[in-house]
Amino acid sequence: MARSTGTYDIEAVRSEWLGRTTEVVRGRYPVEYDSIRRHCHMVEDTNPLFLDPEYGESSVHGAVIAPPVMTRYFAGAGVWPPTTDNPMNIVREVPTRGERMINLNTEWEYVLPARVGDHLSQQTEVTDIFEKSIKLDPRSVWIVTETRITNQHSELVAIGTNTLCTHRTPEQVEAEEGERPL
Amino acid sequence: MTTRSAPNSIATEQTYWEDVRVGDAIDGYDLSLTWTKMAEQVSGSQDFYPVHHDPEFAAEAGHPAIFYNTGWTQAALCRVVTDWAGPSGWMSKFRFEMRRMNIPDDQVHARGKVVGKSNLDDAHGVVDLEVWLENDRLGVTTPGWATVRLPKRS
Repeated sequence: MARSTGTYDIEAVRSEWLGRTTEVVRGRYPVEYDSIRRHCHMVEDTNPLFLDPEYGESSVHGAVIAPPVMTRYFAGAGVWPPTTDNPMNIVREVPTRGERMINLNTEWEYVLPARVGDHLSQQTEVTDIFEKSIKLDPRSVWIVTETRITNQHSELVAIGTNTLCTHRTPEQVEAEEGERPL
Repeated sequence: MTTRSAPNSIATEQTYWEDVRVGDAIDGYDLSLTWTKMAEQVSGSQDFYPVHHDPEFAAEAGHPAIFYNTGWTQAALCRVVTDWAGPSGWMSKFRFEMRRMNIPDDQVHARGKVVGKSNLDDAHGVVDLEVWLENDRLGVTTPGWATVRLPKRS
C-alpha cells in the first residue's frame, strides 16, 4: 500500500482518487480448455459443460464454457508469477494510513459465459474510499473497487466489487493516535 | 477418431424453477484433502504462493498448517451451484467469505440450500442459494451466497 507519511486527509484522497480508472487490459491468453480442465480437476468437477467439446457445442452456450469463477483468471495475466506492472494494482497506489491489508469481500455478477476461444479484458475503477474504526485501527482506510470484464466483442461478461481494508500496525497506531489499539 | 467424453455428471440433469422450494437442501459432494488433492489445488489454481503447499513456510508465517487457497475455495463452492443448476441454469451472482481454513487431512463437505425464489420472465425464474464448505474439525469454514437463473418447464 502507499502509506502516507505526512498528515492524512481522507477528503483530499477521495477527491484525487474516486473515479480513477485503469486502462482496459487484455488477458494474457484466451479462454482455453486445459486451464479449465485443471480447475475442474482440483474439485473433481466432471461437468461436461466445462470439459466436453461435443456436449458444449450442443448446449445452450454453443461451446465449452469456463466455470463462472474463472472469469477473472482469464481476464488477467495469470495468478503466478506475480507481476509488478499489472495495472490492476491501482488499489495499491491509493494513499492510506497503513500498509497492512485485509481483503474483506468480493462479489461477482456474471452476465455472459466465457466460451473457449473468447479473449477477455478487464478494467478497474476506484469507486469508494472511506474511514472506519476497527479493533486494529480506529481510522482504517477502506477502498472499494469495481472491475468490469468484457470479451473481444466489448460485451460485458462480469462485474466484480472488491472491498479492501487497510490499517496500521499497533505500533503505528500508538505513535500516531497516542493510544494502543485493543 | 473418437473424442474422449467427460464422465457422467449430475450437472447434466436440469433443475427447473417450478420444482424448487425454499428450504430445499442441496446435497453437494465431499472431498478428502489428501496430499494429492493439495497438489491439484496448486495446479488448478496456478497459485504457487508457498503458504498453500510448503508446510515449513506456513509454519514460519505462524500458521498451524498449509491451507487451501482462494482459487480452490471458490471452485469448490461454484461446483455446488453449477452441479445443482444443470446445463441451462446460470449462476448470475456469487460471493463468499473465507472465515476458517481447510487443511491437509480434512474431510470437506460442500453443501447448500435454497433460501429464496422469485419470478423473472415467462421463460425463467431466479433462485437464491446459501452454499458452504464445512470440515470435520471446524464446521462451516466458508459460507457463500449465489443467485441462479433457472429455466421454467413451460
